Amino acid sequence: MMIVRWLGRYYSVFVLLAVYELIVRLGLVSPRLLPSLTVIGDQLWIYLANGQLLMHAQVTLYRAFAGFALALVGGVVIGTLMARSRLMERLIEPIFYFGYPIPKIALYPVFIFVFGLGTGSTIALIFLECIYPIAIHVHAGMRSTDRVLIWAARNMGASQAQVFWRVLVPAALPIFFTGLRIALPVALIITLVTEIIGESRGLGYFVTYASASFQYARGMAAFVVIAVIGFALDRALQLVRRRVVFWQRTDVEIK
Amino acid sequence: MSAPIIVVRGLGKRFSRGGKDVDAIRDFNLEIAEGEFIAIVGPSGCGKSTFLHMVGGFESITSGDLLIDGKTVTGPGPDRGVVFQEFALYPWRTVAENITWGLEIQKRSKAEQKAIVERLLAKVGLTHFRDHYPAELSGGMKQRVAIARTLAFDPRILLMDEPFGALDAQNRELMQEELQTIWNEARKTVIFITHDIEEAIYLADRVIVFSARPGRTKADIRIDLPRPRDIDVKKSKEYFDYRNQIWDLLRDEVLRARAEFA
Amino acid sequence: MAKERYPAWLGLLPPLVIVAVWEILGDAGHLPDYLPPPSVIARQTMAMLASGELFQHIGVSLFQALSGFAIGAFFGVTTGLLSGALQPVERFYEPLISLTYPVPKIAALPLIFAWFGLGDMSKIIIITVSVFYPIYISALSGAKSVSKVHVWAARNMGASRAQIIWRVLLPTALPQIFNGLRIGLALSFVVMFVAEMVVSSVGLGFLIVFAEQNLRFDIMYVAIVAIGIIGFGADFLLRQIGRRVLVGQMAATELRR
Repeated sequence: MMIVRWLGRYYSVFVLLAVYELIVRLGLVSPRLLPSLTVIGDQLWIYLANGQLLMHAQVTLYRAFAGFALALVGGVVIGTLMARSRLMERLIEPIFYFGYPIPKIALYPVFIFVFGLGTGSTIALIFLECIYPIAIHVHAGMRSTDRVLIWAARNMGASQAQVFWRVLVPAALPIFFTGLRIALPVALIITLVTEIIGESRGLGYFVTYASASFQYARGMAAFVVIAVIGFALDRALQLVRRRVVFWQRTDVEIK
Repeated sequence: MSAPIIVVRGLGKRFSRGGKDVDAIRDFNLEIAEGEFIAIVGPSGCGKSTFLHMVGGFESITSGDLLIDGKTVTGPGPDRGVVFQEFALYPWRTVAENITWGLEIQKRSKAEQKAIVERLLAKVGLTHFRDHYPAELSGGMKQRVAIARTLAFDPRILLMDEPFGALDAQNRELMQEELQTIWNEARKTVIFITHDIEEAIYLADRVIVFSARPGRTKADIRIDLPRPRDIDVKKSKEYFDYRNQIWDLLRDEVLRARAEFA
Repeated sequence: MAKERYPAWLGLLPPLVIVAVWEILGDAGHLPDYLPPPSVIARQTMAMLASGELFQHIGVSLFQALSGFAIGAFFGVTTGLLSGALQPVERFYEPLISLTYPVPKIAALPLIFAWFGLGDMSKIIIITVSVFYPIYISALSGAKSVSKVHVWAARNMGASRAQIIWRVLLPTALPQIFNGLRIGLALSFVVMFVAEMVVSSVGLGFLIVFAEQNLRFDIMYVAIVAIGIIGFGADFLLRQIGRRVLVGQMAATELRR
């Protein structure tokens, strides 16, 4: 029963996959260009079995997480600083406000020179790119706390520190998680981008190498792995959010 | 009246909004004795909430004096418990945990906290909801939790900012009775802000009519209805007279306030 | 409010200080080769502007990014609004979007290049697909946020389905659509940039790679600054347009504050 309901919900995915397979089988496009699903599945199996896909996945994930973790710490610190001190806000906020629409990936070549080609520069770029949404959301979350919540706390005799930890932090959590939901895929994307541009390991590299060698089925198999990872990470984050911010179901946006 | 514990003299509050100065309150005077229940009615935007915020210590004083026991008010504190119109409950805590919040700050023992929580839950009639979250409660229930929370840390003075404003008319009537009952037991000093004249008369010893902005006392009317007040008092002729008297005074101010924004 | 205690121009201090320090250290020769002082960068910028070279690269990049953005935005808004209005449409798209949303579309870049060649078309395709997502999501979210009574009032006055979408859903969703457009616009520049870095013979992304390979660090920074300015400028323009278009809604939020 559950399976049927599940199939019903995701019917469009199956329809599209079926249409795709049909196009391939009918020979409308060269099978080399558009491999059949079975061939892709085959390649997926082979490369999972021989451990290559897992190895590259590990590299990619390590980079993404390392950068994300650093950005998390940095973002929370900066966001909190801006929320607590008007002076800091005045000094730092423009950097975030004006810097947001600037594609920080443009600085990647500079990072390569500073950190050398490889994991270091990737993590540095992820740090720079992901710190933006996290800091902005932490700042917004704390600033937008309903003032009656703070007043009630002070009315009950809470000190500054107590107001911070017992009111501001929990109140900011929903918006904070929205920031994380934005930043996490970004970390993955940046990792893959750097691997596509010029790397020798990682899933992004794997896809590029496969495409360059005309092994499109292999490339698409890796793509499937990437898709699964991206999807799983997002779901995992939602699960964490559901447990931590248990009192609120829907995502909160910054107004 | 016995010696006043709250003294307001020539109080003024000025706000600067976008370059313009606005006087919310100007030359406001009031004296409140211990154990008095004061209700303040006035048109919207007249500054009565601002006054309450100043007594609570959340807004600063621009001019004049605001003394409690002879000492100027400088900041918020548990001696003046506030009940907000918007409830201000913490959504990440259960009903019971919201009530004990202030007690945790005061570092009371777990046993003490439990005893106080149970007593107050019974008093506001929410014993079976102690483990529920605010999101699961109706407006009336949330306000009862808010009241329980404030009573928990036993403040000397109660500041209530239109506490029943967000409730429907039926719940409001019931809550007024309940507040009466609760107050009769403890006889705290209360400053109660409301739009509802009948509510003010029913609950208070004195009704202060606030003028339109800039706010000051237009009238200070002593309500000489016998205490404790049961619901039948609302049917009495004296009640009716008070109501008309206060509305006549208030109506002028409401029209003045409207004209200002027209 | 306390914010006024600190004047706004304080925000200029950190970047100015950094630029000043950078210049001083660079002139004194304390900085490595790949960090040329701002004056050198400025000079090279002037040179490239004068020769028209910079405009050529900017032009190409802008064209690709904006084309992709426009197409992606068009489809994103229309599909999003339709999904918000019609349940069957939403039920069709929802699984596709939610499954592929967390997936970096950029991973398909090598494959797209392989299928459609290394020319402009591939880049525009990738930009379009990338931009589609945030705009679709925000349009959908905006459309779904419409209050029942607004729709009922419209039906009460005899409006057709299409009229309701155009006259009620679209205006309701507009603020969120604009947020989505801003995200999409920034995204289009990023994707364009990356695509050009991977393979191109003209454009700002190409310029950076070229500069890097020929160790012309000054040119590299010219390209970086250029894309920074374009990114910021485009966002600024979009915000201005938004301010004009959303006059009514913004007034409402101001009042609420």
